[in-house]
Formats: sequence, C-alpha cells, structure tokens
Amino acid sequence: MKLKLLSKGTYGKPLCFLVIMALLVTLPYWSGEYVVSIMMLILLYMAMGQMWNLMAGYAGLLSLGMQAFIGIGGYSLAVFSTTYGLNIFVSILLGGIFSLIFAFFISPALFKMSGVYFAIGSWVVAESLLLWFSNWEFVRYAQGINITSAYQFDTVDLYYIALVVGVAAALVVYLLLRSKSGLALMAMRDNSSAAETLGIELYKTKLRCYLISSFMMGIIGGAMYLYQAYILPSAAFSIGWTVAVTFMVIIGGIGTMEGPIIGAVLYVLFNQYLYQFPGISMMILGVTAILIILVAPNGIMGTLHNKTGIEILSARRNVG
Amino acid sequence: MLQSLVNGILLGGLYAIIGIGMSLVFGIMRLTNLAHGDLMILATYTTLTIVTSVTGNLWIAVAATILVMVALGFLIQNFLVNRVLDKGSEPALLVTFGVSIFISNFLLKVFGADNKIIQNSLASKNVISTEHLSISAMYLFSFLVGIAVILSLHYIMQKTYFGRSIRATSCDRMAAELNGVNTKRTFSYAMMVAMVTAAIAGVLVGSTFVFYPSSGTQYLIIAFGVVVIGGMGSLVGTLVGGIVLGVAQLMGGHIFGSAYQMLSGYIVLLLILAIRPNGLLSVGARK
Repeated sequence: MKLKLLSKGTYGKPLCFLVIMALLVTLPYWSGEYVVSIMMLILLYMAMGQMWNLMAGYAGLLSLGMQAFIGIGGYSLAVFSTTYGLNIFVSILLGGIFSLIFAFFISPALFKMSGVYFAIGSWVVAESLLLWFSNWEFVRYAQGINITSAYQFDTVDLYYIALVVGVAAALVVYLLLRSKSGLALMAMRDNSSAAETLGIELYKTKLRCYLISSFMMGIIGGAMYLYQAYILPSAAFSIGWTVAVTFMVIIGGIGTMEGPIIGAVLYVLFNQYLYQFPGISMMILGVTAILIILVAPNGIMGTLHNKTGIEILSARRNVG
Repeated sequence: MLQSLVNGILLGGLYAIIGIGMSLVFGIMRLTNLAHGDLMILATYTTLTIVTSVTGNLWIAVAATILVMVALGFLIQNFLVNRVLDKGSEPALLVTFGVSIFISNFLLKVFGADNKIIQNSLASKNVISTEHLSISAMYLFSFLVGIAVILSLHYIMQKTYFGRSIRATSCDRMAAELNGVNTKRTFSYAMMVAMVTAAIAGVLVGSTFVFYPSSGTQYLIIAFGVVVIGGMGSLVGTLVGGIVLGVAQLMGGHIFGSAYQMLSGYIVLLLILAIRPNGLLSVGARK
C-alpha cells in the first residue's frame, strides 16, 4: 500500500512548494533575527548535504574530502574580495570556478580509486590543501584572514544569499535527477554493473556529478565564510565540515532528496541545543550518528519510505 | 641527505606498526577502520595516565594499556561493527567514523588541547652520533619493535589455527563458515589483535613525538598511506609502505624545508594511489 503524500491531484505539489517558497522569501518580515540566522545556517548546510548526497547517495562516491572545496571557496572570497577588492559575488563565483578547476585536475587520479580508496584519497587531498595553505605566504600562512568586505552585510542579506544558494543547490540536484543523467545515476546507485551493461558511461556520469558538487561546494564555502567573516586554514579545510555533512545525510536518509533537508534542520537545531554542553557536543553527535546507523541504516527518510512508501520530493516520473 | 634517508627508514618501521592493525582489519573484514588513528592516540593517553597517576613503571603501563585496548576492541567489534557489517561497507565505515569523532572529542574534553609526550629514557639518547650521521635510540627502538611485531604477526598468521582461520575468513567467508570457523568471532579476535598493535604503536608514537587529542587524524592518514602503498592486507607490504612513506616525508622535508615534510608524504601517497590504485605490492585487483 503506497501512500502518496502531497500529491493528491496535479496541483497539490506545486502549490505546496509555492507556499514554502513564499514563507522562506518573506521570513525576515514576520520573524526575529534569531530565526532568520538559524534558517540561514539550515539552508547552507542543506545545500552542502544535497551536494554530498549527490555524490555519495547517487554516484557512489563516498567522499571524506568535500572540505577541500569549502576551503577553496572561502579563501577565494577572502583573497579576491579583501586583497584585490573584487565584487563579493564575483569572488564567490570565482571560488566555485577554482573548485571546479581543482576538481577537474585531481579527478583523473582520484577516479582511479574506488570505494574506501576514494573516500580516503579525497581526504588526503583536503589535508594536503590544509598543509599547503598553512605554509602559503599569499594567504598569510596559518594566521587567517579577516574578511572585512563581508561586514557590509547584515543577517537579512546573508539569509537571502543563503536562500539563493540553498534553493539553487536543491534545484540543481532535482533537475539533474529528473534528466537523463539522473536516470543513469539512479541506475548506477542501484546496480552499477547492470547500469554499465546498459550503456551508461560510469566514468563520465560520475565525473559530471563530482564537478557539479565541487563547483557548488565552492560557492557554498564562499557563502559560509561570508557569514563567518574570518578564515583559518585549519577551520576552512577541517574534516568537521565532512563530519557535519555526513551526519546530516545519514540521519536524513542517504540517496533521497528529502534526506539532506531533514538532516540539515535536525543538525542545526541539535547543534543549537548542544551549545549548552560545550565540549561534549561533538561526542553526543558521534554517539547519535552511531545509534542511528545501528537502528536505521537508511536514515529517517529511507526507513519511512521502506515502511510506508512516502516520498515527498520524488525524482521519479509518475506514469499516468 | 644520508641522515634523512636513515631516519626515514627507521621512521618507516614505526609507521608500519601504525598501519598494520588497519591492514589486518581491512584484510579480513574489508573494513576501513576510520577510528584507527584515534584508538591509537587513546592508547597513548591511557599509557600516559597510568604512568603519571598509577605507577611510574612504563612497562606495567604498556601492559595495562594493551589489556584496555583489547577489551575496547572486543566491545567495538562485537557491539558496533559486527552488527552493521552485513549491511554493506558504508554503514560500517560510518560507524567507525562516529567512533573516531567520539574518541577525539572525548580526549579533548578530558585532557585538554595541550601537547603531551610520554617521558622515557631513550628519547634523548643517540646510538650513533657522528658529524654526518646520528641515530636516535628511540627511532631505532621503534624500528626494531616494528620488525618484531610484523614478524610475530606473520608467524601467527601462517602457523597457528587462529591465523589460518583469519586467512580463511578473508579468502572466502562462506567457505570458512562451512568449515566450522565462527567468522564473527574471528572478526572480533582480529580486531583485538589490531588493538594490540595499535596500543604498541600508540606508546611508541607518544614516546617519540608530542601528541594532541586531534593527532589521530594525522596517524590515520599515515596508517592508510602505509596500507595503501603496501597493498591492503599484506603484512610485508606494510613494512615496505611504512619505509616508502617515512623516506618520502623526511627526504621531502630535507629538500623543501621541514614545513613541507607531511605534505611531501601526502603527495607521494596520492601519486602512488593514482598510478597503482591497489598498492605497490598487491597481487592483481582486490576489491
């Protein structure tokens, strides 16, 4: 018995999304600054989650090195907008482009690895960047850079930037999954050798995913550091980003579009709550992640879907 | 130059023990234990705590640490990893990731972020000390312990029933079970042996270098590098991998300056991975 939520009739779904979008766009007008800043974080983390999920959940590329692109994006923003005085949005875009270029150049080497080799190979790349940036005079070694150009924005501006980035990330994944390569991706996720037999070019499809995620991660990194306004190599290239994103996608449900959304909401709220327990918040996070994998390895959405057949943001095509 | 080469080789012995537990676990259950580095540093802190607050004797502390780590290895394998191992490699990988986050933050909470070192009599001594070459007693000792651990593990794996059951399980789990091997228990034993090596590695690392609660990450990458260069699951390869990585780091540090020491190790690792994705000594593709 399959329940179809929010899809009674043809207009239910679009209407629902219009209402949600309207609520998000008007949020600063009817709620306080605290709620706006929380929503901003949720949107940015959701965007990261979507990108990581695109790779790990669909393309089978479990990466532990996405912080490489957060760092590149953040440093592009810092260097181009403060040192060279470039427009902030141009700097963020450059962060995406540099991430894309970097991803393109390391992909031939990284894509020779598969499974855990890829996971740790990508991590070693990120750690190498961390060491490189810590020893690079151009970015003031490990002393960090004050992103003074970001001071001109208030919380509401930052929220709208995050909204654009978040919606763009979700839209990119949604459109990609609804396209022909989306079909290929889902076929790969379910059975990669069967997919290859049917003529799907695994390497190309994976590479496309990797490049898209890298570009978007660079942009997200820029937006994130617009909010942080101070960048350090050890924070920008920290494995902590991957910890957060993995946690979100796992508890939300890997390989689903709703997973990163639910995960981001839970992660950000959970983190706000854990601020009361400084020092042990990460420990609680680790334990929670383990418990969820033990109890529900498919995450909240995966388990819900298996039990009831609910899909909210389905990338499937409905026939008839 | 000669100095860097010799030190690199000696350091390789230490790196080999860091990597060997990970190699063993991967070889038998196809699991990359992302908590390996943190477990090792946990052993370092355990030894330090026992030495400073319970007994002054380092050897007793090491023995106690090994016991603690073996018990911990059993608990982790039995109650966490064994439960998710049948659900594919990703849940198990992520469980060890969770353990890793927990341990490093636990250490940070209990011991603070300051660097520590295990005091010992070997650290400041040199075995050979000339104008061109000096060999630190600690480096040499670590190297010898590394060789000893690898040789004894090799013996155990080849000559004992326990070793045969491990090898059988890693070759073909179903066939091993049909022949009466309790594979889940074998997994637990393998994890316990890996924890013995992690404890020894932890003590050696803690006596040679300063360490922080976050050092686990760095040693996890070293362990991974060693295992990957040598080929996952190969014991002799682990020693080769350790030496390659150790020499790469120290030669890189010698040529480009000590700031680039770790970086040159990582780059050599990435190059080897890109050229031979299954390791230098691996026989064919093992997936």
